[in-house]
Amino acid sequence: MTEKEQKQIYENWLMQYRALVFKIVRAYANSMEDQDDLFQEISIQLWHSISSFKAESSPVTWIYRISLNTAIKWGRKANKHQHEPLDKVQHVLQEGSNPIDPRLDWLYAQIQQLDEIDRSLALLLLDDFSYKEMANILGISESYVGVKINRIKKQLISKLNTYNNHEI
Amino acid sequence: MKFEEMKTIWDSQNNEMLFGINEQAMHNLIQSKMEKGKHITNTSELLMVVVNIIAGSFVLGMNVFKGNENIFMYLLSAWMFGTAFFLLASRVRRIGASKKFDRTMLGDLEQAISVATYQVRFSFLGRWNILPIGSLVALGLWDSGKSMWILAAFIIFFILTNYASGWEHRIYEGRKRELENLKSKLEMSK
Repeated sequence: MTEKEQKQIYENWLMQYRALVFKIVRAYANSMEDQDDLFQEISIQLWHSISSFKAESSPVTWIYRISLNTAIKWGRKANKHQHEPLDKVQHVLQEGSNPIDPRLDWLYAQIQQLDEIDRSLALLLLDDFSYKEMANILGISESYVGVKINRIKKQLISKLNTYNNHEI
Repeated sequence: MKFEEMKTIWDSQNNEMLFGINEQAMHNLIQSKMEKGKHITNTSELLMVVVNIIAGSFVLGMNVFKGNENIFMYLLSAWMFGTAFFLLASRVRRIGASKKFDRTMLGDLEQAISVATYQVRFSFLGRWNILPIGSLVALGLWDSGKSMWILAAFIIFFILTNYASGWEHRIYEGRKRELENLKSKLEMSK
C-alpha cells in the first residue's frame, strides 16, 4: 500500500467514523486536556493500523477495536495528567457548539464509573453490536460477554431509575 | 425503566457532534509548532555545517602539517567537507521550498509538515553518517598503529552516538505524526 492510499483511507475513516471516536474519547477521558491527548493517541494508532486492516472486515468493527484498545492502554498510563499550566493551554478539541442532552452527560458519567472492559462493553452495547462482534473486538468469549452485559444492563438501568426518580 | 430509554438518550448524540475543532487554537498550535521546528532545523543545520567544516579543516591541517600519510584521515576530512556542502545545498533548497506555502492555516500546517519531514530526513542522514565517519576514524587509528583499547573506545563511542541519534530521530518522527494528526483534525472540521 502506498502512503497516498494509506492517507486516503485514514482521512476517509476520520471523516466517516469520527463520531465513534468521539464517543470513546468522551467515555475514557474526563478533562479537555485528556480528551485532546486521547483523541491524538487514537488517531495515531488508527494510522498505524491501516497496513494490517483487511478489506473484507468491517471498518467500524476495526476502528472500534483499535480505538478501545488504545483507550484502555492510554487509561493505564500514569503520566496522562501531566499537562502544561492551564493558562497556557488552548484546546484544539472543544465541546460541540449545541448543548447536549443532560441525560447523555449523566449516562457518560455512569459509563466512566465502570471498569475499563465494562466501559468498552457498554459502548458496544449502546451502539448495537452483537455479542459475537463484542467478543471479537475485545478478544473475550461470547459467553463471558453475555454474563457481563446482563450485569452492566442491570447496573445502568437501576442507576437510570434512581436518576429519573430524583429528576421527578 | 427500560434499556430502550437509555438507548434513545445514547442515540441523541448521533445528530450532534460531541466535539468541534477550535480553529484559532489550532492555528496558534500549528504556528508555534512550525516556528519551533524551523528554529530547531535552522540551528542544527548551521551547527552541523560549522562542526563539519571545523573538524574537516582540523583533520586536514593536522595531516598536512605533520606530513602524515594516513589516507583514511584525508578521506575523513574530504567526507566532512562533502557533508557540510551537502547540508548547505539542502538548506538552500529547504528555504527556497518554504516560499511556496501560503499564510493560511492549511499553508502553515503544510509548511510545518514539510519542515518536520525535512527534520526526519536530516536526523536519519545524521544518524547513518556516523557509520562512514566512525569507520574512517577507526581505520585511521588502526593504520596509525594506535592501541586496540583506543580503537575499541572509539568504536563504543560511535555506537552510543548512533543509538542516541536513533532516539532523536524517533522524536522527530513523533512530531511529524502530531502535525499530520492536526491536519486530519483540520480536515475533519471542514
